[in-house]
Amino acid sequence: MHLITIAMFAAILLVSLGITAWAARRTRTTADFYAAGKGLTAAQNGLALSGDWCSAAAFLGFTGLTALYGMDGALYAVGPLVAFCTVLLLIAEPLRNIGTYTIGDVIMYRMRQPPALAAAIVGTIVINLAYLIPQMAGGGILIKLLFGIRYDVSVILVGCGMIIYVAAGGMLATSWVQIIKAVLMLGAGAIILLLALAGVGFDPLVLFASAEAKAGPNFLLPGNLLKNPFDEVSLGLGYMLGLAGLPHVMTRFYTVPDAVTARRSVIWVMFLAGAFFAGTTIFGLAAVHYLGPEALRVGNPGGNLTLPLLAQYLGGGKDTVGGQLMLGFVSAVAVATILAVVAGLTLATSGAVANDLYVNLFRKGKVEEHRQVLVARISAVLVGIVATLLGIMAEGVNVAVLVILAICIAASANFPVIVLSLFWRRFNTGGVVGGMALGLVSSVGLALIGPAFLGPNAIWPLVNPTVVALPLGILGAVFGSLLAGRDHEHEKRFGEVTFRIQTGLRSNQT
Amino acid sequence: MTDIAKLSGADIAPGAWIDSVQSAEFKILIDTKWRSIVPMIVIYVVGYMGLSVLAGFGRGILGVKVLGSVNLGFVLIAGNYVMSWVLAVVYARISANRLDPLVNVVVDKARAAGGP
Repeated sequence: MHLITIAMFAAILLVSLGITAWAARRTRTTADFYAAGKGLTAAQNGLALSGDWCSAAAFLGFTGLTALYGMDGALYAVGPLVAFCTVLLLIAEPLRNIGTYTIGDVIMYRMRQPPALAAAIVGTIVINLAYLIPQMAGGGILIKLLFGIRYDVSVILVGCGMIIYVAAGGMLATSWVQIIKAVLMLGAGAIILLLALAGVGFDPLVLFASAEAKAGPNFLLPGNLLKNPFDEVSLGLGYMLGLAGLPHVMTRFYTVPDAVTARRSVIWVMFLAGAFFAGTTIFGLAAVHYLGPEALRVGNPGGNLTLPLLAQYLGGGKDTVGGQLMLGFVSAVAVATILAVVAGLTLATSGAVANDLYVNLFRKGKVEEHRQVLVARISAVLVGIVATLLGIMAEGVNVAVLVILAICIAASANFPVIVLSLFWRRFNTGGVVGGMALGLVSSVGLALIGPAFLGPNAIWPLVNPTVVALPLGILGAVFGSLLAGRDHEHEKRFGEVTFRIQTGLRSNQT
Repeated sequence: MTDIAKLSGADIAPGAWIDSVQSAEFKILIDTKWRSIVPMIVIYVVGYMGLSVLAGFGRGILGVKVLGSVNLGFVLIAGNYVMSWVLAVVYARISANRLDPLVNVVVDKARAAGGP
C-alpha cells in the first residue's frame, strides 16, 4: 500500500510544485498575489471554491460521521451546501463589487476608521487560526498514519508545502492547487459512488435497509452524535451563516473579473461540492453495509479512515492490486485536500497581516507596489511558521469539533459585521467593534467552558455555542452602532456604498 | 493605491454619485432585487432551520418511515439539496434576465452623467 500511495502523493506534489513555479513567474503585483490577477473564469473559481470549502473534515469526516452516527452525519453534510444560498443571495456579488483583496477592505471602505479595520483584522486572524490549527493537526495525523512518519515531522512537511505554494505562487498557485484537488476529489467520489451502488444493483434503498439492520433501529434517527437538541440547531445556524464569515472562502470572490462571474462561480460550487456532500451520505451508509459497524470502530478514531477503508474494499479488498490502488488514491487525495485548504487559509491570513494591518492600518496605504508584494510574501512565511508550531502543539485535538468551532466564530463575529456593513445605513465603527468583540468573546468563551474542551467537567452544556453566540454578536453590532451615536456624513455616504455594491462602479475619489 | 479599479468596474466622477444614487432606474434595480431575493431567503431559512430544529426537538417526527427504511428526516435532507439547487438556478436566471439588464441601464446612465 505504501508504495502506491507514495507514488500518487509524489505525482500530486510534483504537479503542484510545477504549477507553483509557473505561478511564481506570473505573480508580480498585489492583484496577482492576493487575487490571481482577477482573471479566473467562473468554472475555475467554482472548482477552486469546492477545493477550498471541502476540507478534510468534509472529505473524510462526513463519511465517517454518517457511518458511525447515521442521520447526524447526513445533517453535517447538507449544511455546507445550504450555506452557499446565503453567500449566493446576499454576499458574493456585493463583496466582489466593494472589496479588493480582503474582508478588511470591505469594512474599511464602508467605515473609513482605523478601529473598524483593526476589529476586522482581529476577526480574520482568530477565525483563520481556529480553522488552520485543526487542519494542520489533521494533516499531521493523516501523514503519520499513511507513511509512518512522526507527528511533528508530518506537520512540518504540511507547513513547508503550504508556505512554498503561498509565498512563491500567491493566489494563482493556491487556486490551481485547489482546482486540481477538487477534480481529484470529485473523481474519487464518482468512482466510489459508482462502485458502492453497483454492489447493490443501483438501489440506494438497499443501503438504508442494510445499514438499519446492521447498526440498529436507532441508527437512522437524529441525535446519535449531537445529544443536546440545541446542538442540532447550533449546527444549522452556524453553517447557514458561518460560511459567509469565513475569510479564506470569501476572498475567492476577488479572483474573478466581475460580480456576474462571482455569481456563476457560486452556482458551480453548489452543484459540484453539493453533489459530493450528498455522496458522502451514501458512502457512509455503504461503509456500514459492506464493512459492518464493528469493523468501522476498530482503529478508526472519529471515523476519519472510513472512506479510505471503503475505497479499499470496493477496489477488491486488502490484498488486491485494485484495493491498494483505491486506498492509495483516496489517501493521496486526502493529503492534497489538506494542502489546498491550509494554503487558502495561509493566504487569507497573510492578506489580513500584510494588506490590512501593515499597508492600510500602519502605513495608511502609502507603500509601493513591489514592497507590498514583498511584505505579503514575508507575512505568508511567518503565518505558515506560526501555524506549523501551533499545529505541532495541537496533537490530539478533535479536528471535527475545532472546525465547527471556527465556523461558529465566523457566524457569530464576522457574519453580522459583514452583512450589516453591506446593508444597514446606520451601522458604524462602534457597531463593528461591538459586534466583533461580543461575537468573538461569547463564541470562544462558551466553547472553552463547554464539552469540547472540558469534557465531562463542562460548565456549559453545548459543544457548539452558535445558538447563543450569534444573537449576542448581532446585539453587540446593533447596540455598538446605537451607542456610538449618529454620524450624518457617514450615513449619507451609504447611498454611494449601496450604489457601488449593486453596480460595481466606483468613484475615482475612493 | 493600485490601478486595480481599472480591472473591475469603471471609475466615474465623484459628483455623479449623488445623481446616480437617486435616479429612478437605480431605485427600480434595488426594489426588483429585494423583491426577488427576499422570498428565496425565506424559503431556505425556513426549509433548512426547520430541518435543524426538527433534528433537535422533533426526533420522533423525523423517524417516521416513508419509503422502506428511509424516514422523513432523510427525505427532508434530500429536499434541502434539491431546494438549494433549484434556488441557485432560479436566482441565476432572475439575475441574468432581469437584474443584470437593470444594472447595465444604471451603469450606462451614471457613465453618461460624469464618467469617462
